[in-house]
Amino acid sequence: MKYFQPHSVEEALEIAHRYEATFLAGGTDLVLHMRTGKVQPTGLLDLGKIPVLREIKEFDGCLQIGSMATFAELGNSELVAQNAYALWQACQSMGSPQIRNQATLGGNLGNCSPAADSLPPLLALGAEVHLISQEGEEIVPLSTLLSRIPLLGQETLIRGFRIPINGRQSGFAKLGRRRALAIARLSVAVAVEINETRVENVRVALGAVGRRAFLSESLGRELSGQELNGAWLEKGVLEVQQIVREALGTRASAPYKRVAVSGVFREALASIISEGGTQV
Amino acid sequence: MIEIKLVVNQKPYTLDVEPSERLIDALRNRLGLHGTKEGCGEGECGACTVIMDGKTVNSCLVLAAQANESVITTIEGVGNRRSPHPVQKAFVEVGAVQCGFCTPGMVLSAKNLLDKKSKPSDAEIGIAMSGNLCRCTGYDKILRAVKIAAEEGKE
Repeated sequence: MKYFQPHSVEEALEIAHRYEATFLAGGTDLVLHMRTGKVQPTGLLDLGKIPVLREIKEFDGCLQIGSMATFAELGNSELVAQNAYALWQACQSMGSPQIRNQATLGGNLGNCSPAADSLPPLLALGAEVHLISQEGEEIVPLSTLLSRIPLLGQETLIRGFRIPINGRQSGFAKLGRRRALAIARLSVAVAVEINETRVENVRVALGAVGRRAFLSESLGRELSGQELNGAWLEKGVLEVQQIVREALGTRASAPYKRVAVSGVFREALASIISEGGTQV
Repeated sequence: MIEIKLVVNQKPYTLDVEPSERLIDALRNRLGLHGTKEGCGEGECGACTVIMDGKTVNSCLVLAAQANESVITTIEGVGNRRSPHPVQKAFVEVGAVQCGFCTPGMVLSAKNLLDKKSKPSDAEIGIAMSGNLCRCTGYDKILRAVKIAAEEGKE
């Protein structure tokens, strides 16, 4: 097996073009998959020595996050806490301190586990993904990217993420078997715009419900442009249960998740309310 | 094989490693540092914790090649019988060790916390230690030991 450790994005793309190599981000999933034989790469392209991929910055009205920013770096970032609260929350609870120090946002998307902790927050926050290969660049909404199979072309590198800074409030909650080190059994992220007593532009995304995290556009529409009150919350709970019912069908976990999602949804909303100081 | 350079416990090394070789294997088999333990081998238990560039990582989930150009501290670099680290001293005093298999990882997580924060809160200690499992002691004594070490550091 070949091992490449480029120091620039250009060099990485050149290698990706010339060799059949698997991108290696933090490695917390890939190293394990290699060991169990689930993945047998013929080459590894380690992105860990490209400093520009680690940047977290505000630019052009967006929070821009390099694909190699770790969960720990995101979880310690004031910029992320202020502008992408749901993502910040997800970064506090993912894995363990050791995993958060190593695992990256780009790796979480590239591996694309159904339970990937960062994807529901990124979807709710309206994140776009910056893809790059020797053929060119592309900025694509994450919700669109997640409908592609395969997710990425062999030579395509996840350069980073762009989250619009638009004053929306967001929250995240996940259900795991215990607090640390638990794979999410269910996760919900919500982003809303609160104008006095009205809720606008609601975006709800779910994780560990089906093969990939997804944004429910219908739920967002149903819940937008309404008064923020108890009735709104109850309506949201019923709708989100319906979505889980449809997404999971007859799967064994369906009866459990259908009920459990109401609590996780409430918790995600509660985290917005407590953050923003607005009372329901 | 690929050549990597790294500093382990303040000593520089140049090693030839296999691309798929994990950091824990390089530390144990090439450098003979057997203090780093392999428990689950899948990033759940934290027994293999080492400090890499000031951050704790599971050395079973890091390739040796990824550690190229890094500075690493293993349990052998923390203290010894004659001059134990305050965390090690507190572990002994409190009785936070039973079988001892998780202890090197626990000590490194605690040391790294105290390196960064001399006065951690109970919650911060809990979070810092949340990636290390112990199947013997039940955590109470471990957390107490970290607290005692933190308090000693304050004086």
